[in-house]
Amino acid sequence: MPETIIIHLTINGTGRSFRTPPGRRLLDLIRDDAGQTGTKEGCGAGECGACTVLLDGLPIPSCLVLAASCEGHEITTVEGLVHDGSPHAVQEAMVETGGVQCGFCTPGVIMTSVALLENSIDDREEQGRRLAGNLCRCTGYEKIFHALEVAGTTDD
Amino acid sequence: MTKIQPPLGGSHRRPDAMAKATGQTRYVGDLALPGMLHAAIAVSDRASARVLNFDVASARRMPGVEAVVTADEIPGDNQVGVIFPDQPLLVTDRVRMVGDRLALVAARTPEEAWDAARAISPAYEDQPGVFDPEKALDETSPTLHGTDNLLHTFQVLRGQTDPDHLDADVIVEAHYEIGGQDHAYLEPQACLAVPEGDRITISASCQCPFYIQQAVARVLAIPLASVRVEQAPTGGAFGGKEDYPSEPAACAAMLAWRTRRPVRLLYSREFDLQVTTKRHAMVVQHRWGADKNGRLVFAEVEAVLDCGAYAGLSTVVAERANVSAIGPYAVPNIMVRTRIAYTNNLFGGAYRGFGAPQVSFAAEATMDTLAHRLGMDPLEFRRINLVTPSDPLTCTDQPLAAPQMAQACLDRAVKDSEEHQIAPRAPDSWRRGRGISLALYGINLHRGGQFLDRSSAVVILQPDASVIVRVGLTEMGQGNLAAVQTVTAAALGIQPDKVQVWQPDTTTVADSGPTVASRGSHSSGRAVLDAIERLRRRLDPIAAELLGCRPEDVELADSCARVSGGGPSVPLIDVTREMAARRIETISTGWYRSKPRVFDEATGMGEPYASYAMACHVVDVAVDPDLGLVRVEHVAAAHDVGRVLHRTAAEGQVEGGVVQAMGWALTEELKLDQGRLLNPSFTDYLIPTSDDAPPVTVALLEDAPGRGPFGSKGLGEPAFIPTAAAIRNAVCAALDVEINRLPLTPPVIVRALAGNHRFKHLME
Repeated sequence: MPETIIIHLTINGTGRSFRTPPGRRLLDLIRDDAGQTGTKEGCGAGECGACTVLLDGLPIPSCLVLAASCEGHEITTVEGLVHDGSPHAVQEAMVETGGVQCGFCTPGVIMTSVALLENSIDDREEQGRRLAGNLCRCTGYEKIFHALEVAGTTDD
Repeated sequence: MTKIQPPLGGSHRRPDAMAKATGQTRYVGDLALPGMLHAAIAVSDRASARVLNFDVASARRMPGVEAVVTADEIPGDNQVGVIFPDQPLLVTDRVRMVGDRLALVAARTPEEAWDAARAISPAYEDQPGVFDPEKALDETSPTLHGTDNLLHTFQVLRGQTDPDHLDADVIVEAHYEIGGQDHAYLEPQACLAVPEGDRITISASCQCPFYIQQAVARVLAIPLASVRVEQAPTGGAFGGKEDYPSEPAACAAMLAWRTRRPVRLLYSREFDLQVTTKRHAMVVQHRWGADKNGRLVFAEVEAVLDCGAYAGLSTVVAERANVSAIGPYAVPNIMVRTRIAYTNNLFGGAYRGFGAPQVSFAAEATMDTLAHRLGMDPLEFRRINLVTPSDPLTCTDQPLAAPQMAQACLDRAVKDSEEHQIAPRAPDSWRRGRGISLALYGINLHRGGQFLDRSSAVVILQPDASVIVRVGLTEMGQGNLAAVQTVTAAALGIQPDKVQVWQPDTTTVADSGPTVASRGSHSSGRAVLDAIERLRRRLDPIAAELLGCRPEDVELADSCARVSGGGPSVPLIDVTREMAARRIETISTGWYRSKPRVFDEATGMGEPYASYAMACHVVDVAVDPDLGLVRVEHVAAAHDVGRVLHRTAAEGQVEGGVVQAMGWALTEELKLDQGRLLNPSFTDYLIPTSDDAPPVTVALLEDAPGRGPFGSKGLGEPAFIPTAAAIRNAVCAALDVEINRLPLTPPVIVRALAGNHRFKHLME
């Protein structure tokens, strides 16, 4: 196996290349190589969801994905949801409703929420099931559900 | 006191929220400096052993390793105990728990550091350990420190306390086994130490920068003034970042001091779960009696806290447990004894509720059992025995300022529960039950910790009428920044977005103690009001000149200074510009300390707390009678909050507290085997998900003002305390069983069903 490989992928709309060891986790590539530290590590085992990013629009735990497997793909992180200085509707709604407390789970929760809304999942039961991979210890989830409701209305 | 005005009670955006939602907030793990090294800790994997020898030479030769530090290299005291000097930073000859530290490693990458730390493996000689707190108190048990394992005993003795004379028409005896809990903050422990000549800066995820300052100064043998601790944005804490962060901070500081380079220490989730403090497991024995009319006659409580291997904060946790053991009920004769036992289990520390949730669980379970034995409705039985304006004394003989709030919270929670239309989520075949529980919460620190109950603030008024605020108490997600911002804006009559509250730093504010005991907004808010009062001694005369009135007639509202009673006004910015032009001092300090109180530790009589808050939770559950699964369908939570400072932050405290307590009640089992945690992962240690969380109807009652800013009361812990007992009572009502342990995992519930279980023949 080579010492390092070159990986090409798109992060938050910009095509980039990284020379990294072949075993590098996508999470480390995003945080340490691309300097996008908004994505958090809460467990390193795919249990907590704090490291959730969108891979071609699909929410995935970036701590369990090899960076090399993302060759040619598109990654969106919480930083990439801000366009021309304007936060995404989900970010606005999380702030507006009080869905943000300690903030450590927030980036992951927001990435999963964006995917939920883009797939028009607006039933609370279904939202609860699909957000269950994003642990939050502060809010009891009530205001996160409220944020989803508010953001869902904004999108329409 | 300034009158109530906007934005009090509003739901304006929390000042820290957008940076967190867009990924801009820099937690410790997001900070890196050139030349920074990564720390790791070599720890014991056994709970009780003599350390015969250990070799660190080979670890020193491993790739990337820059330093390995052992106990003999500590320049100051090898001691990190918060209250008792019973805990070394690094052990030398004996380990008392899994996770005891042997050596510290600094290396160029985290992987290299942890590889080297894991390679350090001493020769041990195992010693007998003790893992059961009640057995630990037997004379024959192996001891951890000194001649026995009893760390301390607290008591409450009121009225007739001779057990032989405590008799009643109906007596309930119950034995409660209550499990511990991990804080499971989403951000594991983290700190960064940066040396600079004869001083050092620590950035830490923490609840008390001052504790860290003291620990680092002690370990490095340098003056307190040489240690700067800034609180980094903190990704959840819940008590787990009160006492504990001094330990990793002292480790990182030692390595930074030794290598003269920045050193960052980040715990992995597994390591964090395995070695950090936990909510105390507790065993509580009850003997409570009532007369045939349903009046409580006596309450006898014997509680034993599992301290674990080191004292930590166990004495102060037990102190709160001791006086919280009866709840908001008027009982003439009381005998409470609370003992703390050293064991070789993981050590207990601060955790939201601080001993009160365990004893409240027992009290509220016994209340239900007594009601059933009396043939009374548990709701009615509680109504008969609640403290009232005519019977307003707590178990320590302290008169409550607003005893009527117990009844008010009960009525409101019951009403909200009945009016809420539950859309059942569980199948029809599951059994349904409703449970009630109350809490009487002593706000702020117990009288025993009163020496810590002071708080510092700095307010700097800017020429453009915006304001910089520094307080000594921390934001960890609970909303202290929002609360302080709100209090400042309301007191100065300005918009909240003109107020910037910055995180605590030991070089900008004086020691304000820990952000615990639901004292954050109370103590920092009161200090800010004091600073503003002092600032106005300089501001009001200038405003009076501009307005042509007397300084005492100046009031601040709507971003203006105006003559009180509806006279002329000038924009506040005109006043601040004038102050700047005249070079008037616009920085002001503020201070808050609670008033001295009287409390007799021998009898437990007196004023353990300055004031109290009430809460009541009513819970609806559905239980699968085959598998023992529980779904919480709805929670109605009514809280006596005095005054809402920030509405969504207050609601968030209640909603989050309820769900965290639900985890403790149902799924969060610390599986310990010989002191080692068998389930140190979120796959095996289950905290509630969005799929588990019930809808919570929150009622914030503002009828009885408290002593916090604008009449507010602490809320963070009362939000947690009643839930678990309400869930237990609901589960027992649903199944018609009595279960006296936590957590209520499926095996516990199935075992309780015993002869009534569908597959009882398989359980023989």
